[in-house]
Amino acid sequence: MVRERDKDWTDDLYKKVDCYDLVDNLEQCLQCGKCVGNCPVAAITPSYNSRQIIRDILMGNMERLIRSEEIWRCFWCANCYRVCPVDIHFPFLMMELRFKALEYHYGIKYVFPFKKFALRALEEGLTFVPGTKGREKIQNLRATIDTEPWPVVSDKAKKEFKAIFDLTGTTEWIEALNEESDNPMICTYREGKIVDE
Amino acid sequence: MEYPGTENAVKEVLKILGVTVVMDPDQTCCAGYVLTCSGYLPTAPLAVTARNLALVEQKGLDTYVFCNGCFGYIRELSHILCSHPHYLEMSNQLIGRWGYKYEGTTRVFHVQELYALLKDRIAEHVVRPLTGLRVAAHYGCHYLAQQYGMVDDGDLPTFHEELFDIMGATPVFYKERRMCCGYSVGRGFTHNEELVQPHLARKFESARDERVELMTTVCPGCNVALDREQPNMIKRGLDGLNIPVIDLSQLVALALGVPIRKLGFDANTTSLDGVVKKLGIEKGS
Repeated sequence: MVRERDKDWTDDLYKKVDCYDLVDNLEQCLQCGKCVGNCPVAAITPSYNSRQIIRDILMGNMERLIRSEEIWRCFWCANCYRVCPVDIHFPFLMMELRFKALEYHYGIKYVFPFKKFALRALEEGLTFVPGTKGREKIQNLRATIDTEPWPVVSDKAKKEFKAIFDLTGTTEWIEALNEESDNPMICTYREGKIVDE
Repeated sequence: MEYPGTENAVKEVLKILGVTVVMDPDQTCCAGYVLTCSGYLPTAPLAVTARNLALVEQKGLDTYVFCNGCFGYIRELSHILCSHPHYLEMSNQLIGRWGYKYEGTTRVFHVQELYALLKDRIAEHVVRPLTGLRVAAHYGCHYLAQQYGMVDDGDLPTFHEELFDIMGATPVFYKERRMCCGYSVGRGFTHNEELVQPHLARKFESARDERVELMTTVCPGCNVALDREQPNMIKRGLDGLNIPVIDLSQLVALALGVPIRKLGFDANTTSLDGVVKKLGIEKGS
């Protein structure tokens, strides 16, 4: 592993990562590791370690965190949050860490496939809307079970849903997503063992 | 979206149990998915949640959802709204232009909690006992991750099994029953199916070894992940795997005698024909 230098470290990184105050109590982490023991991702990816991620954030190594491929593996199952003795909301922390990574153009390849899908959702007021072919299939199915041809969302709701996204700048952000601006990431996991480079 | 039968089943079951459902066409998506996937600030999802809940508050009702994901996100986001005054102010300013105001008075519940509370009423109305059917539960993480104000313990929940028992089915406890469905990575977000398959294989292997005939979920996301992924599991060499996955509401509806046509089982990848045949139900009825 490349030796780290002083300037690689960021003071108060946890405050920078948690700039939306969604976690708040990261400093209370006891490093007990219950989160890792209950983590389904850690079970199949040995180099993914939620306890270590919290420690790295508290210690302040930003570069290592945002460049790692591991932060994109979290399933959001929140088992870590359920067992945490001090109620650290790790899924939200992971979300904010991904925000940070994207800010430095890491991991855009993971968000990019979402673009088309999100723009469609904005028009419909519904998520998980399939394309024309999928929609036809679902409509046929709905016709056989005596229900409306499509989930009812009023025009007012659609308009307001879209307006919220426009006003907060989310639409602009989604439209600007560009796969080419992505930086390469580092994964320390190869074929079932942790690689120490 | 992919299983319209679930929505139908919820409506039918609640009608039989004497609960009035108010569906509001002004509601939109809970936006939790946009929050986690777009990689953009939580402002829009917070405002969308405030708007949806303000609509319910106007009517003076409580919120019921039938998806673990929506349940988790709405709970978390409303908690953030209520505990961070600046987020509440921001959201109310955004939605105030259409005359909404979110105050945090509506409470958020999952439909499965209603089933657990109305257990006795369900028992009275069972007309199609599921005798001999080996049913396993998949609770889904986003319900159990809520540590406070739930109907059961997050570590070892049993309220689904109690419901199976009431409906005459045989509840099966399999080893990986608490395990995540892997939806967010396998299908929802990063579309890295290779990554979730070894994880799901463990879950299905333990279910298969307990001779599970049917699995229930309480979240359309889990349902998609567990149902649609099975052909891939078989391709990977997991033998003898044939576990249809349906929503708990669909199972309750089945026991309460709702016509099977209305439950939309045709949407499932893993066919339910075996289960329907075992229960002796005519397919068209």
